[in-house]
Amino acid sequence: MPPAIRLANVTKRYGRQTALDNVSLEVPTGCVFALLGENGAGKTTAIRILLGLLEPDSGVAEVLGIDSRNRRQDILRHVGYVSERPTLYDWMTVAEIGWFTAGFYGGDYARHYERLISDFGLPPKRKIKDLSKGMRSKVALSLSLAHQPQVLLLDEPTSGLDTMVRREFLESMVDLAATGRTVLLSSHQIHEVERVADYVAVLHEGKLVLAERLDDLKDNIRALLVTLDDGVAMPRVTGEILRERRQARQWQVLARGMSDEQLAELRSASMVTDVEVRRPTLEEIFVAYMRTPSANESTHSGSADAIRAGEVFRP
Amino acid sequence: MFFSIDPANGVAIYEQIVRQVKFAVARDAVKVGELIPSVRELARELAVNPNTVARAYRQLQTDGVLVPLRGEGLEVASAARGLCRRETIDIIRLRIRQVLTEARQSQMTAQELSKLFEAELKAI
Repeated sequence: MPPAIRLANVTKRYGRQTALDNVSLEVPTGCVFALLGENGAGKTTAIRILLGLLEPDSGVAEVLGIDSRNRRQDILRHVGYVSERPTLYDWMTVAEIGWFTAGFYGGDYARHYERLISDFGLPPKRKIKDLSKGMRSKVALSLSLAHQPQVLLLDEPTSGLDTMVRREFLESMVDLAATGRTVLLSSHQIHEVERVADYVAVLHEGKLVLAERLDDLKDNIRALLVTLDDGVAMPRVTGEILRERRQARQWQVLARGMSDEQLAELRSASMVTDVEVRRPTLEEIFVAYMRTPSANESTHSGSADAIRAGEVFRP
Repeated sequence: MFFSIDPANGVAIYEQIVRQVKFAVARDAVKVGELIPSVRELARELAVNPNTVARAYRQLQTDGVLVPLRGEGLEVASAARGLCRRETIDIIRLRIRQVLTEARQSQMTAQELSKLFEAELKAI
């Protein structure tokens, strides 16, 4: 099956600022794909390029095989979009904005919209300007879902919303994915992403530093807490070290691709008193990957002295 | 059958669902022949990815806990109860073993340990 969403070597600059730097990624059909990254990492830019609202300086963006650059109309027909701060006509009522939008889409739009707002418990006769922030977001979500899009793009849809509304958003997302539709969301809510995402991608200063199936990521990375004898050198750890910290006799490591044999070897090393192994949380993985690129220059010498001064990160 | 999922607790979400279904079967919260919620229903209820629930259900079928009921969904298999009881005991045994290993590392004696165990048992 072709990917639902594709970015190929996409670069976008605003003046001297590079918002996206040669980003390539593919989102498989029928999955929930989460885009993580700090503010200004390029998440919104990527989503707006996919929608055809922004033009990339170079590279190709496609949704459902449709080129975003020159077929914006076709894209909007098949895609639902909720921005971080949805702009709605304040003077319309909840019902009116549905009729208004139905005019662009036709078909069953109005009927689906009515069902959505009733499921969300929205008052049809209330004016948009009199709605709470949570209710406004639910209107925006209803508007973006009523044409039953194959792909839903959500740009930090739940930021600033209360727990109950966030939960309803999550449930809608999960339900869409259950019917084979594709959801791409950008988010700061790592714990939510951890629940709902099939794939996670991390953008850092416009570069894609990670794009992987969440299960694989968590299966391949181990969080180790190693207790060492007094004053000994560090044992060698094979595999890729994403992050490590040492404090006195304790050594905290986030290691990728370490085999069971290598783990057993570490356990039986003479200077090692104890090794505690955990499955890392997404937050730990995220933090490790965010710090990785900036520490390119530091190298791991394998001696305790080199590390004691602080943290060493390896790409 | 109620679930409580903690994505950050170190056990994969699908594995948490598998364990909780097994615990529920072991203590008769769901009985042999009863239907369990559909993938879509449970995904929505827990707000977790439907693929995760589907993976848990596949695992439970492989383990012989659930069997497909033609056109209706998944039901608890007839041999499931005994199976889940044994597994529950295995899981508890494993946890006790981990605690004991930890205790040994902090140089506790067997006597201290049994005393602690008895006291805790009474306290429940």
